[in-house]
Amino acid sequence: MDLQVIARNLEFMAGGLVVTFEITAVALAGGLLWGILLGLGRLSRIPWIYHPVTVYVHFFRSQPLILVIFWFYFLVPVMIGKPLGAFVSTLIAFVAFEAAYFAEIVRGGVQSVSGGQAAAGYSCGLRYHQVQLYIILPQALRNMLPALTTQAVVIFQDTSLAYVIGLREFLRRVNLVDTREARSIELYLFAGTVYLVLCSLGSAAARRLERRREVGLS
Amino acid sequence: MIEIRNLSLWYRKDHKVIDDVSARIPKGRAVVICGPSGSGKSSLLRCINGLERFQEGEIIIDGQSLRSRETDIHKVRAKIGMVFQHFELYPHMTVLDNITLAPRKVLNQSEKDAENKAMQLLTRVGIPDKASRYPGELSGGQQQRVAIARSLAMEPKAMLFDEPTSALDPEMIKEVLEVMIDLAKSGMTMVVVTHEMGFAREVADEVAFMDHGRFVERKPAGAFFECTENPRTREFLSRILK
Repeated sequence: MDLQVIARNLEFMAGGLVVTFEITAVALAGGLLWGILLGLGRLSRIPWIYHPVTVYVHFFRSQPLILVIFWFYFLVPVMIGKPLGAFVSTLIAFVAFEAAYFAEIVRGGVQSVSGGQAAAGYSCGLRYHQVQLYIILPQALRNMLPALTTQAVVIFQDTSLAYVIGLREFLRRVNLVDTREARSIELYLFAGTVYLVLCSLGSAAARRLERRREVGLS
Repeated sequence: MIEIRNLSLWYRKDHKVIDDVSARIPKGRAVVICGPSGSGKSSLLRCINGLERFQEGEIIIDGQSLRSRETDIHKVRAKIGMVFQHFELYPHMTVLDNITLAPRKVLNQSEKDAENKAMQLLTRVGIPDKASRYPGELSGGQQQRVAIARSLAMEPKAMLFDEPTSALDPEMIKEVLEVMIDLAKSGMTMVVVTHEMGFAREVADEVAFMDHGRFVERKPAGAFFECTENPRTREFLSRILK
């Protein structure tokens, strides 16, 4: 075992972790925002909203993420006529893909709020977007918190898939160090430990949020 | 104020929830609707507030037809308050925010104006000290009084009550009824679905008995209790007036 190899390349690999966190953050924020709109679309009674949204959600949920990453990397530049680069196309792929999963979480969350709440809002003259924004979504998001944190942990792990288009996120950088140093066991044990520790922290946060929610409701 | 013409509502064609109902409720009148569960009382209220889309007939509120394409249903709803059986306060907001939300967002009142008004209303319903509490910290009776204050904050021209005391423990019914009686005496146009016949006797101008989606009987309150001949009404009354 040569742990020096990790110390020697720590800065380089930590830089990859920053990229990983950036993708996770954008995928979470953008995916959730887009997912909220899609989730509300899935509950819409207007056919020309409901059907396209349902197709979108179903489509992305039936594709492997790695393929979606490929697509946005190769297809979008063809469509818009200029290359996007690995980072930007990864961000778009993650937002588009994760939004489909968030949509279903949001749908469940909104359905968990009683219909009487919306009726109360409407009866005061509030409009659809106001009822959703001020009354339904705050309660729905609170109910969704455990599912959202779980999904955040999944996204964090899935960012490693961006290595297929050469994005230098954490795992890709560990991989690059390995091709230079040929210390696979040490390096991949290190990478595994980093994922384990960070994901455990995420899960612990999720459990705490859930407990706090239960206490808050009692 | 509220005019209902030949209203019919159904979810399945063979079962009409509301079956050809007509009624006029002039300004300042209090009407009590009673009847067995499933008779269409609550659905009727939901139709009046545009929460339920009906298939036939017409509802005209303050000169505006709910069916007309020119009518902005949100503006009509803003003029009509509604109080629900299960209060439906927003659990994530304080009592004060519950009351001020719609005045600020719909009537564009400033936060300060809305809060002053809310405090006046909380005083009127007897719980100004609960302004900064959350609904979950209040008793059922207090929650329902907040819900009434929330509706009143929109300065509605009419108020609809959907079994406002049915979910309350017996000792809390009185405090809510007192607020409603006070409201009726102040001249508010009210449609109240309730089985509280004491309330009907005291303030209702008219009592209607509804069954199977129809008005079986509509009479001035006194006549309704003293001299109804209709066997279905009598049977119903004998069951709830024990």
